[in-house]
Amino acid sequence: MRLLVTGATGFLGRHVVGEALRRGHDVRAVVRPSSTAEAPELDHSRVELARVDLRSKRGLVEACANVDAVLHLAALKSGDMYAQYSGTVVATENLLEAMVLAGAPRRIVGVSSFAVYDYLHKRSRTVLDEGSDLEPEFPPRDEYSHTKLVQERLIREHAERQNWDYVILRPGIVYGPDNLWTARLGISANERRWLRIGWLATLPLSYVENCAEAIVLAAERPGPLALTINVIDDELPTQASYAREVLRRLCPRPRSRTLPWPAMRLLAWCAWVTNRMGLKGRAKLPAILIPARLHARFKPLRYSNRRLHESLGWSPRYSLAEALERSLRP
Amino acid sequence: MRRRKSGMGSRVGAPVLRVAVIGTGRISEEHLRFLATDPRTSLVGVCDLSPSLARYAATRFDAGAAFTDYAEMLTTARPDVVHVLTPPHTHVAILRDCLMAGAHVIGEKPVAPTLEDFETLWSLSRARGRRLIEDHNYRFNRPILRIEEALRAGRLGEVRELEVRMCLAIREKGGRYADENLPHPSHRLPAGALHEFLTHLCYLALRFVPTWDAVHATWSKCGGGSLFAFDDLDALVLSGPTHARLRFSSTQSPDCFTVTVRGTRGWAEADLFQHSLSIVEPRRVGQQLSPLANQAIRGVALAGAAVAGLWNKVMQVTPYEGLATFLDRTYAALVTGEDPPVGYDDMRGAAALIDALLQARGESPRTAAGSA
Repeated sequence: MRLLVTGATGFLGRHVVGEALRRGHDVRAVVRPSSTAEAPELDHSRVELARVDLRSKRGLVEACANVDAVLHLAALKSGDMYAQYSGTVVATENLLEAMVLAGAPRRIVGVSSFAVYDYLHKRSRTVLDEGSDLEPEFPPRDEYSHTKLVQERLIREHAERQNWDYVILRPGIVYGPDNLWTARLGISANERRWLRIGWLATLPLSYVENCAEAIVLAAERPGPLALTINVIDDELPTQASYAREVLRRLCPRPRSRTLPWPAMRLLAWCAWVTNRMGLKGRAKLPAILIPARLHARFKPLRYSNRRLHESLGWSPRYSLAEALERSLRP
Repeated sequence: MRRRKSGMGSRVGAPVLRVAVIGTGRISEEHLRFLATDPRTSLVGVCDLSPSLARYAATRFDAGAAFTDYAEMLTTARPDVVHVLTPPHTHVAILRDCLMAGAHVIGEKPVAPTLEDFETLWSLSRARGRRLIEDHNYRFNRPILRIEEALRAGRLGEVRELEVRMCLAIREKGGRYADENLPHPSHRLPAGALHEFLTHLCYLALRFVPTWDAVHATWSKCGGGSLFAFDDLDALVLSGPTHARLRFSSTQSPDCFTVTVRGTRGWAEADLFQHSLSIVEPRRVGQQLSPLANQAIRGVALAGAAVAGLWNKVMQVTPYEGLATFLDRTYAALVTGEDPPVGYDDMRGAAALIDALLQARGESPRTAAGSA
């Protein structure tokens, strides 16, 4: 297959390109015009670079021509709502429009996120899977979850209107080399100090190479397709066990302090009530003092990847221990 | 069902103006937040090229409808007033279409890239019997209004010197003006991205130094590359015995936006990013003790500004705080038919000064053919 990969220079995108090549596909990798990102995966005879910026329509139709499927990973994770709209939503609008104008491809794999789920109203220790309630688009919980929700909706609406095959993949926390810290552990003030929140919550981890394989499998799976699948590994550690494994391997080891989840939950609730009652909700609080955001990061839940196994025939290539070793390999 | 609004400026029985917004980017949030609470207005439509962004703004601010084509919005929503908040190079064409459709227009600055374009738009607005109003929001920030009060009360004496200084790291990597992948639309203006800030510098200067005889300007590009036409301006506006310095720097840190007015009796400095004001003037304690009194008062004011700054940060009070006052006064004028707070002289003066600054690039001082 010839695959168009957006976000190809990103942390996950580089591994998706590598996995696609490993499985014998040709890749057209979307990189920004002035990008100088050095990724060994892109320096390959079966990789063609498409230097376009998805926030603009220029050159996008040509980029979408003569490919069998689009693996859409590009998104902006930081910045205010308008920056993330531009980098995630407008980028997706432009890509979908270009796919229509190009006449092909007729298959899209959209990479979304666990950020789309509603955690606040979900009961602790219940199972979160693809059927769980989503965060409402309005009012937005935060910029990232809102723009990912809109992005998912756009892909679904376009695919159904155009009769395309589509798979929405929702990876959990994607980790790997240079990316072992996760906001579900707490707050990382810097490389030397961690303030952790909670011990016992299960982390919905997805090792980057395992995740990349799932994304390429979704592109390969015979149609017709209209699927939404969570992407997480089989072996999911708790916050405490993951932090212990990571800390054991880091040198120098960061200093780490932990706040109990119930205490943090109470603190956020008090801050929320004070804001609502005393300040008419106008105060801008830190994310960990906003209950909906706090619960999204630290609430103890259980997770299922049954659909990932059944629909894509996926099984993780690397265990947690192997993944950590590979992540810290020099 | 639309929400009932109960913001400032409520008038029993006053007509409700049908308002539309074109362009739902970052600045639109400030306009829409005002419109969502102002009882004199009904938001009948928002428009953006991105359907999702238009829908986001429409849902969040309870607009009647979302559009991706402003011509369609003008026809179907029939607004009385349109806020034009699109990139600056698109303003002239959109403002013209809105005026032709019979709407008053409130345009983000600059409404036109040149004095000539402004005059053409103004003539059209007169011919159509509609208002053309440029957003001069910083003029209505509290510290600026307080300096004006101090001047009116004679506390600072006659203005002799003015400095408007803006330092913004617009070349910072990752910033929207420095993005080479998708160059910011303001790079298309005559002075490039810096042009977008010129209107602020000019209307603030003209507030305290309304006429000028000559202009001298040094335009520089400190950062190199082809994206920016200029990234530094040091200009002197001469008006008889009064001098005004307009300064924009992209290399000085930290970011700041200050206005310093020095008069024959005292001086005042407003920090528009930190919402603070210092005034040094003769105090009642007499000439000998006035310096001590001023130091003490400034110290207290500075400490208060630090606390207020933290409060403002938490309560999301931004440097755009003057925009709500500007819009409130503008809508009061549109409802009563009185002159709006930003009129022809203000807009023409700013456009003429910008033209003179642009013409003074690398030349000897420019005299005031276009002085207000």
